[in-house]
Amino acid sequence: MSVDLASVLTQLLVGLSRSMILFIVSAGMSFILGVLRVPNVAHGSLYMIGAFSAFSVYNYFGGGSTGFWLALLLAPFLVALVGFVAERALFCHLYQREHLMLLLFTFALMLILGDLVKIVWGPEYSSIMPPGGLKGSISIFGSAFPKYNLFLLVVGPLVAVFLWLFTNRTKVGKICRAAAVDREMVGALGINVSWIFAAAFVLGCYLAGIAGALVAPTVSITLGMDHDIIIEAFLIVTIGGLGNMWGALVGSLIFGITQALGVLFWPQFAIVFPYAAVVIVLLLRPRGLLKSVW
Amino acid sequence: MGGIKGRLALVGLVILLFLLPSVLPRFYTYIIALIFVTALLAMSLNITVGYGGMFQFHHGVFYGVSAYTVALIITKTKLPAWVAFCAGPVAAAIAGLLIGGFCVRLTQLYFGMLQISLGSLLWAIVFRWYSLTGGDDGIHGIPMPDILSSLKNAYYFILIVLIVCLYLLYRIVNSPFGRTLQAIRDNPGRCEAVGVNVRRHQLAAIVIATFFAGVAGVLFVVLEGSVFPDLLFWVLSLEVFIMCLLGGWFTFAGPIVGAAIIVSLRTFVGMYTEYWTLILGAILILLIFFLPEGVMGFLMEKFAPRLKAHVVEERSRAQG
Amino acid sequence: MKHGGRGFGLASLIFIGALLVAFVSGALAGGKEIKVGIIDCYSGPPAVYAKDALNGFKLALKEINKKGVLGRKIVFTTRDTKFKVDIGLSMAKELVMREGVDVLVGTISSGVALAVSDFARKEKVPFIVWISKSERITGELGHRYVFCTSENTAMAGKAMAVGLSKKPYTKYWIAGDDYEYGHAIARAAWRNLQKMKPGVKKIGESWWKVGEPDLIPYLTAIMAAKPDAVIFCTGGKSMANILKAIKATGMAKKVAICIHTATDHAVLKALGPEAPEGVMGTMDYHFYFPETPENKAFVKAFKAAYGEPPGFPAFHGWNTAHFIAKAFEKAGTVNTEKFIDALEGLRIMSPVGEIEMRACDHQVVEPMFLGVTKKSPKYNFLIASDIVTLPGPEIMPSCEEIMALRAKAKK
Repeated sequence: MSVDLASVLTQLLVGLSRSMILFIVSAGMSFILGVLRVPNVAHGSLYMIGAFSAFSVYNYFGGGSTGFWLALLLAPFLVALVGFVAERALFCHLYQREHLMLLLFTFALMLILGDLVKIVWGPEYSSIMPPGGLKGSISIFGSAFPKYNLFLLVVGPLVAVFLWLFTNRTKVGKICRAAAVDREMVGALGINVSWIFAAAFVLGCYLAGIAGALVAPTVSITLGMDHDIIIEAFLIVTIGGLGNMWGALVGSLIFGITQALGVLFWPQFAIVFPYAAVVIVLLLRPRGLLKSVW
Repeated sequence: MGGIKGRLALVGLVILLFLLPSVLPRFYTYIIALIFVTALLAMSLNITVGYGGMFQFHHGVFYGVSAYTVALIITKTKLPAWVAFCAGPVAAAIAGLLIGGFCVRLTQLYFGMLQISLGSLLWAIVFRWYSLTGGDDGIHGIPMPDILSSLKNAYYFILIVLIVCLYLLYRIVNSPFGRTLQAIRDNPGRCEAVGVNVRRHQLAAIVIATFFAGVAGVLFVVLEGSVFPDLLFWVLSLEVFIMCLLGGWFTFAGPIVGAAIIVSLRTFVGMYTEYWTLILGAILILLIFFLPEGVMGFLMEKFAPRLKAHVVEERSRAQG
Repeated sequence: MKHGGRGFGLASLIFIGALLVAFVSGALAGGKEIKVGIIDCYSGPPAVYAKDALNGFKLALKEINKKGVLGRKIVFTTRDTKFKVDIGLSMAKELVMREGVDVLVGTISSGVALAVSDFARKEKVPFIVWISKSERITGELGHRYVFCTSENTAMAGKAMAVGLSKKPYTKYWIAGDDYEYGHAIARAAWRNLQKMKPGVKKIGESWWKVGEPDLIPYLTAIMAAKPDAVIFCTGGKSMANILKAIKATGMAKKVAICIHTATDHAVLKALGPEAPEGVMGTMDYHFYFPETPENKAFVKAFKAAYGEPPGFPAFHGWNTAHFIAKAFEKAGTVNTEKFIDALEGLRIMSPVGEIEMRACDHQVVEPMFLGVTKKSPKYNFLIASDIVTLPGPEIMPSCEEIMALRAKAKK
């Protein structure tokens, strides 16, 4: 099919905006992976709860622009709260156990949260609208580009900056980084490692919540969102380098852009493009593109 | 030891299983046959997880590859069904060799995540290649040879194949190869030092495990007459993992128990509530906290504490 | 390990125990009742349709059970397929083999419908499809034990072609869900359009996975190719997503769009003001058209029972209940083969007029309506405007065509 440069550029932008969502989710997962050394299988469920919470907050405040911004503000805290409760009540008791048990716990959490969402919000799907200023599309390179996607392109880097500041400039963040590399040393310094894990887990959940709230106006908020995103997050984190947040950024960019270009050139197998990219990266650098934190 | 009493119990059980279809309503025959298939799948996984200590997170891929191979050969070519039945496990083993070949270069978590990545690529291809595999719709109404087309006969066929495979697996696990594999699981460093080629051993174990997963895939097609892309989806793989853990991954029969419990629960709980996933998650949590050695581990504590202590002691000595 | 033998003993005890528990708790066969087993998708976006269909069915049953059928009441039980073929099949198996239902009814996913239809044929249990639309269900893969009370893609495709052939569009793009229904409606629409307007050209196709949440990249790619018109082949799971994405990209203002069931109330209601205007749609039921006394009565009763007006699934559900009741009455006994014989060629009075269950292929013959989505001053959701009616017999493929298709498929 003949495509002109303008279409390719538009499609690239669309892919980039999708990468932003993927980045926020994967960064959260990477952070948890780095500090706790556990891939959080429930991360997709937390993202889904973020989207549903955004819906509830949106409706509680009567929809419209106020509804949206308040949802974006509050939903992540709700998700972080869910994560906090799960962590303190159950998860933290497993830190002394084998690694595998932690992974299985997150899998169990995913199963439970998935049905909890069904119980709390019902089986049908929900929908929220972008706020007034971000509705509709504008013309970029001669094609229609939804304004909301432009907004995502701005928010993504903001989150990345916030994360960098957190891990490099705040005390908690720096301790988390240290714990990722050598938790025993951190413990020997008298810091309560269990609380550090809690902090890292809660931050990861918060990020998942932001991503969920951000994606809510663009998709149907529905059960099954968790399954869709978790495998992508897994792959991104694997090719980025386990635990490396910049790796998550690189991975998300690769994933989002290859998928968008795939849709342009070969829509039926669009999904295979990012997967193939993943396989190529892993064949060349099995431990991921960037250095793993451990 | 298990000895005479064990063997008698075994024979009695086999006879009972052969008699069941004549007395049970069709639905229960179907469920038990499904348990057999799933049990074989779980047993095959345990070769790598329980005996090999590897993080085989995406075992379902091999199950699915075999099932689709059978389905495609029967529906798209004029080859007889028996050719398809043999091709399935071979295709699964080849996939195991390829994917396993990459995975054994790494260990633990990396191994698992790499396997999930490669396995998911296969899933994506099967899922999206609509013209070949029917994509999301799957392939249905796969005709079986006349002898196998009734539920009862399918049940007997599956049972016989299961017994043969279990016997083979038992011999493999207790062979020198099997013992070396367990030694690698407990202390790879020491094995390396003694001159064992750890990578090759692990790869061999993967190929064996995936071959038997392939057999399970064939049995699935015989029983259901359909295939779906979900057979290659990671959730199924994790479910099978749970079955091994639930049953007790360090015993031979553990995965069978796990498979039986999960399949039965899923079927019967599913009739009364739509929140089966919630219950499965809750079971898993209870398992992690209270029953980490699985049902078999717990039962062995109660009824055969000396046996269990012996096993535990053996392992801890090996881990040094 | 040497304890293998004892392990087996313990293992067998456990699962025999589990089976006994289940056996005892199993459903006891109903005495004097006609059992209907409904499999449908009650999770996610398709749940809107499934619920609607169930409500229509229940509304009809309320009336029917007052008198009963052959002295018995019709009872039903539902199972959730989650829009997945493997789950749908196992639910159907459970309903037939364990619950012993007399009639199977459902579902929305054409993929599930085909798989269950195959199963129903083997088990010799009648299966009435009430939302799935693939023409293959009663067409090339049809058989004695499957019926369809929904309009199918052959009818919808022809209706779409009638509407589109009158427009000046020549360059078409076809896109949709990559499963049975998506491909069926695409084939039907294109084949009919080509026949009626030979100058049309298909400049491209795109297919996405069922339920794909992010359709924006697909739409921007399609718009880049600059077609005159796009036919979207989206089913229950993606309908809400596609309409939302169309609105977000403002696509309806730039390119003509035609989607089967775009004008359906069940989905337009859920989207409210988010639904895009100016989208062409084909449909077999609207609660506000035609304004026959039967339709008015149906809508009134439905509103009273469920608080909102019915969509097309409710229409089908209501019809299905009446078909089942009348067929059993005509058969005079609760016998599967007699039921099927009675159902063939049966006519009932539906809210849009008299409809017939065609004997040769078990497909319901009913009219189709073409419309365009538009904001309405009366309601806070969009409705179809400028509705054109196409009577049933005009849009059905002939019996000869169907039999030829089936014969070819068997080879």
